[in-house]
Amino acid sequence: MKSASTLSSAFLHPAGQALPASLLALRFDRASALADLVLPSRKTENWKYSAKHLKLTDDMASTLPLDASVETATDISGYTIVLVNGVVRPQASSYPTLEGLSVQRFSDLSEDDATLAADLMKKSISDQPAKAGSVNLSLLNGARFEDGLLIQLQPGTVVNQPLFVIHHTTANHSGSAYPCILVAAGNNSQLTLVEDYVSSGDSPVMVNTTTEFSLGDGANVTSVRLNTEGQTVQHMGTTGVRQQRSSRFESHSVGFGGTLRRHDLHVRLEGEGSECKLNGVVVTQGTQHYDNHTTIEHVAANCNSEETYRNIAADKSHAVFNGRIHIHQDAQKSNANMSNKNLLLTNGAEIDTKPELEIYADDVLCAHGATIGQLDKESIFYLVSRGLSRRDANVLLTMAFINELVDQIPVEQVRDAAHIGLNQFFDQAFQEG
Amino acid sequence: MLSIKNLHACVEDKQILNGLNLEIKAGEVHAIMGPNGSGKSTLSQVLAGNEAFDVTKGEVTFNGDNLLDLPTEERAREGLFLAFQYPVEIPGVSNLQFLRTSVNAMRKHHGIEDMNAAEFMKLAKAVSKQVDLDPAFLKRGVNEGFSGGEKKRNEVMQALLLQPKLAILDETDSGLDIDALKVVADGVNALRAPDRAILMITHYQRLLDHIVPDYVHVLSTGKIIKSGGPELALELEAKGYGWLGIEDQAAANHG
Repeated sequence: MKSASTLSSAFLHPAGQALPASLLALRFDRASALADLVLPSRKTENWKYSAKHLKLTDDMASTLPLDASVETATDISGYTIVLVNGVVRPQASSYPTLEGLSVQRFSDLSEDDATLAADLMKKSISDQPAKAGSVNLSLLNGARFEDGLLIQLQPGTVVNQPLFVIHHTTANHSGSAYPCILVAAGNNSQLTLVEDYVSSGDSPVMVNTTTEFSLGDGANVTSVRLNTEGQTVQHMGTTGVRQQRSSRFESHSVGFGGTLRRHDLHVRLEGEGSECKLNGVVVTQGTQHYDNHTTIEHVAANCNSEETYRNIAADKSHAVFNGRIHIHQDAQKSNANMSNKNLLLTNGAEIDTKPELEIYADDVLCAHGATIGQLDKESIFYLVSRGLSRRDANVLLTMAFINELVDQIPVEQVRDAAHIGLNQFFDQAFQEG
Repeated sequence: MLSIKNLHACVEDKQILNGLNLEIKAGEVHAIMGPNGSGKSTLSQVLAGNEAFDVTKGEVTFNGDNLLDLPTEERAREGLFLAFQYPVEIPGVSNLQFLRTSVNAMRKHHGIEDMNAAEFMKLAKAVSKQVDLDPAFLKRGVNEGFSGGEKKRNEVMQALLLQPKLAILDETDSGLDIDALKVVADGVNALRAPDRAILMITHYQRLLDHIVPDYVHVLSTGKIIKSGGPELALELEAKGYGWLGIEDQAAANHG
């Protein structure tokens, strides 16, 4: 194999699912822009710790079958949309029927709605060129998406149950998938969107995702993201959020490590009085890798942001947190809090954390803290002195480290799924001694 | 029940216990008194199995077993309980979850099946009441945000819950006002039983007004230098430690 440092052109050919003209045009533009993309190396600022895990071989370039048969039975009752390899599977979905809420797949969009979708993507964070020294691989999503969802809420629409989007990737042979979700939440509307990323099969595949939220004045949107894909899935996800006046956005993510997992979350507080709260939990074991990159931009004045991320790394795994807060010149009275705590369960595990603050306004409150530690010996002694096994003591203390965040997830099914995944993690990370 | 022979122990190369001997039989209540720095807390930590302390010489048997060979959790399951002088706060682990895991670990060791949630709640509420703790505390993190007195009551509550064979109380009286002291003492007295022994470690005599020991020992520089009945505690109260030719090392250090 040649040691190419540019992206193979094989990655720029979509499969050819029927799409409205404006989306096809956008996709073509993105592909052209990507033709000279240089792949990230360890010298690439935003890929420093993840580049070595990135494996984009030509056999991964082909689109995974759009009609792959999968077991899509879920025990979720309520609004559920299933995507298989990035393409909506209507027969497995249960669309919401609610006045003011419209959920459409790209291939069904009228030309007007397709223009709206294309505009959302053009403005989307994931479609912005990377800053100097960085590489934006989420651009691939714009060049390759085959389908997607446009979710629109009319002003004042309150959706009182979560909308689940199940992203299923079939890893029966090598290939890639490019799911895309666009949410336009009108003024004072309300929505909780759950994205659940799952997979079947064990061939090396790449999933490159885009989720874009646009929040009108006073809109209130919660995004819940759970990642339990198989070990051979390279996952590169990007979530972009634009918030107008007095809107509120919450993000809760739970990630389990894999060969390469990466999530970029970029929030722009563009309207005065808007606020965001970002919670994230990551656990890794074996030789897994997980990289969370977040950016919060305070563009307008009087906005609040609160960010809390916790990582736990076992065995020889590696977790990364890079949290950037950018306070623009006009963003006076900004209030930004960022906390990242990390727990290393073994000597061989690695966690890298990097808070970045860029502040151009002079009247702001900005606090950040990052810690890396191990389980407290005194606490373990206290617990085992009451007859608990070392394993139970370790599990209780490790759970305690992230419970605060898991308990805040506002959707019960996701909390339960997170606990199941975490218990499996503990079973492997702490063998009964 | 507990037999300590010529026990030597150190922490970070500092020798603290220097040939301590002690015999405790079932049904007895012993009190160990001594000035600060005499090794009282080291003794309790060594008995509970804190790995920060190294036993350099001597032996300890507990109901015939070599105690020093057992890891901390095994000692606990065999019935040794230490009420900590400074119980650690563990936010994120609820008392309920912790105590139930503890009770069931003990039961499992003795081949008894797990206590179900309802049964456990009933028991936990009853023992909380016994030490005047609002059962709402069960939902809070272990010792999280507890006052000093609440922490001590929580320790005694756990002893009542776990019904150990040997309860070691490390300065369980310190930091308590007179009402809390009475509550704690009532809890400890409720533990007194013919098949159970209690070892109280204390700096002051006042706890012994409420829990009258069978034997009182004076610890100095890591050894028991005098033993007697309850009257020895009163004598110490009246005359101070100086009467025995020892000085309060902490007091000396502060001076």
